[in-house]
Amino acid sequence: MEKSDDKMLIVKHCRWLIVLVVFLLMAGTVRADDSVQPMDTPASEGEDADYYDPFDKDDGTLYDEGDGSLETVADPMAGFNRAVFTLNDGLYFWVLKPVALGYSYVVPSEIRVCVKNFFFNLLVPVRLVNCLLQGKGKAAVGELGRFTVNTTLGCLGLMDPATIYPTLNPPEEDMGQTFGYHGIGNGFYIVWPFIGPSTLRDTIGSIGDWALNPFSFMQLINLEAGVLTSSETSVVVFGVRTINDTSFQIGQYEMLKDAALDPYVAFRDAYIQNRNSKIAQ
Amino acid sequence: MTHKTIIYTWILLFLLILPMIAFSMEPMEIIQGPIDKVIEILNSPKYQEKGTKSAQRAEIWKIVKPMFNFEEISKRTVVRKWRSFTDEEKAAFTDVFSQFLGNTYVDKIQGEYHNEKIVYIEQNFHSDAYAEVKTKIIRDTVETTVDYRMIKKGEASWKVYDIIMEGVSLVKNYRTQFATILKKESPAQLIERLNKKLTEQNKRLSENG
Repeated sequence: MEKSDDKMLIVKHCRWLIVLVVFLLMAGTVRADDSVQPMDTPASEGEDADYYDPFDKDDGTLYDEGDGSLETVADPMAGFNRAVFTLNDGLYFWVLKPVALGYSYVVPSEIRVCVKNFFFNLLVPVRLVNCLLQGKGKAAVGELGRFTVNTTLGCLGLMDPATIYPTLNPPEEDMGQTFGYHGIGNGFYIVWPFIGPSTLRDTIGSIGDWALNPFSFMQLINLEAGVLTSSETSVVVFGVRTINDTSFQIGQYEMLKDAALDPYVAFRDAYIQNRNSKIAQ
Repeated sequence: MTHKTIIYTWILLFLLILPMIAFSMEPMEIIQGPIDKVIEILNSPKYQEKGTKSAQRAEIWKIVKPMFNFEEISKRTVVRKWRSFTDEEKAAFTDVFSQFLGNTYVDKIQGEYHNEKIVYIEQNFHSDAYAEVKTKIIRDTVETTVDYRMIKKGEASWKVYDIIMEGVSLVKNYRTQFATILKKESPAQLIERLNKKLTEQNKRLSENG
């Protein structure tokens, strides 16, 4: 009697094991089934299925215009752009990089981080307004929250105590992205001296962003704030910011350039891809 | 069939399945394993001395290379023109392009590594064949997102077919460049260009030790 009870117990346990195994197997198939369905679309397109990338949301560059070119953006002034690209490249290697290296040698990274944080905090109107223009309420609240925390606890924005809270760190918005979000295309590609790659849309956008920057805003509304609103100050601010930001990015430009067969085309494509991904965010 | 046989069949089945589950590596593990090893090599005191750079580069390349499916990468950068490549040209292109990518990026990793922190965010599956591993590189206050797109072909393990840095796909970036070249030149000429770049690169790298 006792023995058969034991047997029953074993059988009972084994049943649970079976249920568990079956459950695990089913869970496995369910997960696979869940994700499989969009596969059939590319397969029907024949040979292009070979280049199919399920994670690529806009595979426009796969399909050429018939002449073999895979342009990600119109570039009617390519000749001018290439010349400015060469100029900027020279400026980077002969001016900006040596200055930024010297600067980072003299100024410890703790202070450079403070400088970066301070300017970033000051430019909150640009990001906030563009969050609102895109109807991103959560991000706007995040921007305001970060500004409040960093201006108070972070000593006027020199420090970034808000960095540990994901909700206070929304993706950075600007007016070019706002235009893109509302369906406005790039127009065409432009390389600006000193400033670098842009497009018609992003150039117009940066004029809007410039107006939202506190210094220029004071100028625009004719608020007299002495040294703060002088044009020398804005040039100095631009220079310091560029050098300070570059001190954290030395090597990045060189990497993309060395990895390229045609650096001009590589940077143009990287700019457009990066902007597209930011607009999609 | 008795209950016993059913149970034994299940146990047997379970034992057969178990090793399959245990040995098929997750995409994230395939990324994380080699990267951890590379960081170890970068920090290793063995390579802090002068003249060890090329040995270090070779060791890093040995670890990183198996992570990638270079044939897939090559095919995806050339796209539709891939059909006009002969089998020899396909092999030659894949070989020179993978060496060129390896040289370029391993050299940069060696030169630019400053104790960056790597955060492995998540892995997403699209199907049994496609997966994406999202990571972040943190340096001082600068964060760079790096996504690895991976493909699983048959019984082979997951391999990277594209890297997306800050939203910029490596494959698509080369695609626009190669398209510009292939518009005017033949596949052989493109391979020749890459070979020339690789030779220059090798010369420069060996000069730097």
